[in-house]
Amino acid sequence: MQAGLLNTFHKNSRTRGYTGWILSAILFLFYILFYFTAIPDGWAHFFGLEGKWNLYGTLYTLAILTGGIYFLTRHGNSRYQKIRTISLIFFQIVFAYSIPLVMEIFETKGFVFSIFWPLKIDYFYPQNILDYPILLIVYVFISALIAVPLMTLFFGKRWYCSWVCGCGGLAETAGEPFRHLSDKRVKAWKFEQFSIHSILVLALITTAVVIINWMLHYTDISGNWVTDHGTFDVIVTKIQGTYQFLVVAMLSGVLGVGLYPLMGSRVWCRFFCPLAAILGLFQKFGRFRITVKNDMCISCGNCSSYCEMGIDVRSYAQTNQSFKRAACVGCGMCSHVCPRGVLKLENKWDFRMGPDMKQRQVFDL
Amino acid sequence: MHYVIIGNGVAGINAAHTLKNRDNNAEITIVSYESDNHFSRTALMYVFCGQLSDRCIEPYERDHYEKMGFKRIRDKVIRLDSSGKILYMESGQNISYDRLLIASGSLSVMHDWPGINYDGVGNFVTWQDLEWLREKAKSAKKAVVVGGGLIGIETVEILLHAGLEVSFLIREDYYWPIALNKKEGDLITEHLTDYGVEIRLKTEFGEVLGENGKVVGIKTGEGEKIDCDLVVFCIGVRPQTDWLKESGLELDERGGIIVNEHLETNLPDIWAAGDCTSVVWFNGVRRPEQLWYTGRDQGKIAGWNIYGDKKNYKRGTFYNSAKFFDIEYTTVGLVNFNFEGEQEILLREKDKFKTVRLVYLPDKTVIGCNMLGRRWNHEILISWIEARKKLDWVVDHLKEALFDEEFMPQFKIITEA
Repeated sequence: MQAGLLNTFHKNSRTRGYTGWILSAILFLFYILFYFTAIPDGWAHFFGLEGKWNLYGTLYTLAILTGGIYFLTRHGNSRYQKIRTISLIFFQIVFAYSIPLVMEIFETKGFVFSIFWPLKIDYFYPQNILDYPILLIVYVFISALIAVPLMTLFFGKRWYCSWVCGCGGLAETAGEPFRHLSDKRVKAWKFEQFSIHSILVLALITTAVVIINWMLHYTDISGNWVTDHGTFDVIVTKIQGTYQFLVVAMLSGVLGVGLYPLMGSRVWCRFFCPLAAILGLFQKFGRFRITVKNDMCISCGNCSSYCEMGIDVRSYAQTNQSFKRAACVGCGMCSHVCPRGVLKLENKWDFRMGPDMKQRQVFDL
Repeated sequence: MHYVIIGNGVAGINAAHTLKNRDNNAEITIVSYESDNHFSRTALMYVFCGQLSDRCIEPYERDHYEKMGFKRIRDKVIRLDSSGKILYMESGQNISYDRLLIASGSLSVMHDWPGINYDGVGNFVTWQDLEWLREKAKSAKKAVVVGGGLIGIETVEILLHAGLEVSFLIREDYYWPIALNKKEGDLITEHLTDYGVEIRLKTEFGEVLGENGKVVGIKTGEGEKIDCDLVVFCIGVRPQTDWLKESGLELDERGGIIVNEHLETNLPDIWAAGDCTSVVWFNGVRRPEQLWYTGRDQGKIAGWNIYGDKKNYKRGTFYNSAKFFDIEYTTVGLVNFNFEGEQEILLREKDKFKTVRLVYLPDKTVIGCNMLGRRWNHEILISWIEARKKLDWVVDHLKEALFDEEFMPQFKIITEA
C-alpha cells in the first residue's frame, strides 16, 4: 500500500465528482481572466506587483512550492521522487521566477534559462531575441538545438519534463492529486500521436514564416522597419497571433490547467506541447527505457492507473516487454507504486531494439 | 471446435489468449460466476483502500472479449457430464463442449468452528468477499484477522488503513514460517506493531461469539476473549472442485484435479489449470500450486495443449514475491525445505528491515535466497542457483541482482545477523 495514495478513488474531488467539476470551472475562469482581461492587473497592483503576469508568476511558483511539499509528504519515501521534486521546485523558484525578476530590477528584459524553443516559441522570433545580449542569443540556439536533443538522448525526456520544466513542475506538484485521471485507452494514445505532432508542425511553420517575414523586412532611408511583401506580412502576423491564442493561451493555459481535475495534470504535456514532441522523438532513439522484470507482474494496475501520461504500463509489464514510449516523462511513479518491484527506469543503450521496443503486444505466450 | 473454459481468472484468460493465438477461428466460451471481466485478484486489496478503482484492476479494455471473439457466460457450473460433454449451470441452462478447460480456482478454507455463521464473519479472496468487506468496514470498529499468511497480512493492512483496530491471530510462533525464518518473521511483526497492529502469536482460534446473530467477539483456543465486530478468516485456500465430486474426475486428497504433465485430466477432452489443479512438485509430491504466477503459466500451457500441441508444464526454479505493508519481499529457489545438512546466513543492512538470507548445502552451493526490504531481479538469482554458484561468490555478486529504484541508498551489508 502506498500511504499517499490511499482513498484516491473514494474522493469526490479526485474522481470527476461534482467538486472536481467546480474546481475545473474555477481554474477555467481564472485562466480566462488572466489571458483575456485586465482585471488581474488590479489584483496585482493591490499586492504591490507591477502587472498581472508578475502576479501569475508568483501564484504559479507558490503552487509549485506548496504542491511540492504536499507531494513530498506523500512520496518522499522514494529517493528518486524526492530528488526529482526538489529539482522541480528549485528550477521554478530560481530559474523561472527569481532570475528574471532580478534581471528586471537591473532594467534588463527578463530571461528564463529553464525554458526552450519551441515551448517558448518567441525565443526564435528574431524581433524578440535580438533585443537580448549576444551571449543569451547563443544560449537560446545552443540550448534548443544541441543541448536539449543531446541531454534527451542520454537521459530521456525526463531530465526536462519531470525535473526542470515549469509546466511539468505544476503537473507533478499541484497536479499530483489528479495524476490518475489521464485516459489510458488506446484511443487516447492514437489521438495523442496525432495532436502532439500536429502542434509541432504548427510551431515549426509559425517559427519559419516569422523568420522569413523578418528577413523580408529592411530599414528604409527614413529609418522605418518596412517590407515590400505587405500581404505576406499580414498573413504571418495572423499566423503568429493564432499560434499565440490557440497554443499558448488556450492549450497550455486554459485547457492545460483547467482540465487538471477532469483529465489529469498532463493534458498540455501529453497532447499538445511541441517541445515534448521533439523530446519524445529523441527519447525513442536514446538510452532511457523502462525495464520490465520478467514474469513478476501481478497485473494489479497501479502503474497504469498512476501514469499521468496515460501509458498503459501494465500492458507491457504483464507481457514482459521492456519499453520506450515517446510520451513517458520518466516521473517514475509506475516503478514507485509497483508492489512487486517489476519496473525500473534506466539509462542504458540498447541497440537490439527487439520487437518489445517497437510495438505493444496484447498478450505474451 | 467449441472450447469451453470454466473460470475467468488468470489461468482461464491466459489459456483463452494462447488458444486464440494458436487457432484464430476457435470458438471460445468463458464461464464465470464471479465477474464479467477478468480482474487481478491480487489487487483486490488496493480496491478496498481506494488506491485503485474497480475498473483499474481489469488488465484489458472493456471491449477485449468482443475483440478477441470470446463468448462469456455469467453462471455457475454445478455439474459436469463428461460422457455427454455437457455442463449444467445453476440457472438451469446447459452447454455442450468439444474440449473443456477447468480453471475454477480456489475457495477460502473455513473450519467448522462454532459461530462461523454469525453476521460479520468472512474471507477476503473473491470479488464478492471484497463487496462484503467494504460494506462491513463502514460500521465495524474492531476486527480480528485469523491466519498468518499472505492474505492475512494484506487483510490486516487494509482494515488498519480503513481505520479499524486490528488483532492478528497467528497460530505459529512467528509470522509465516512456511517462507520466513524466525528472525525475518519477527522483523515483519515488529513492522506491523509499529503500525499499531495487535499481534497474537502462538494463538489458536477457538470460537466466534455472537449476539442476535452478529459477531461480538471471539474466543481463542486458550479461552481468552477478544471483543470485535468483524472476523476475517485467512487460513488458506482449497481447490474449488466440490462440484466435480461425482464427475469421475480424479481428485487428490486436497481436492485438486489430478493432471499429467500436459495438464490433461483422467477424462477425455478435459484439461485443468490454475489453483484447482494438482501437479507434481519438484520433490515428487503432488499438490496444487496456488500462486498467481503458476496460475498464469499453467493457463498458457493448457492453452497450447487444449488446442492439440503437446507442451509440458514444468515449473522452473521457484520464485515468488510479496509485500508486507512497506517491506518488499522476493524469494527464489528452495528456502525452508530443510534439506539434510543445509545451512543459512542472514545478512543485514544498516536499515534492519533490509535483509538477505542465503540457504546453502554443505558444499556451499546456494539453493535459495529470501530477500526483504529491497527489489531484486529474481531472474539473475535464479540463474545463479541453476549454475550452482557457491556462497562466497553469491555474496560478492549480490549487488548485480539489485533492481531498486534509482538513487536508492547503496547496498551494504553491515552484519551477519
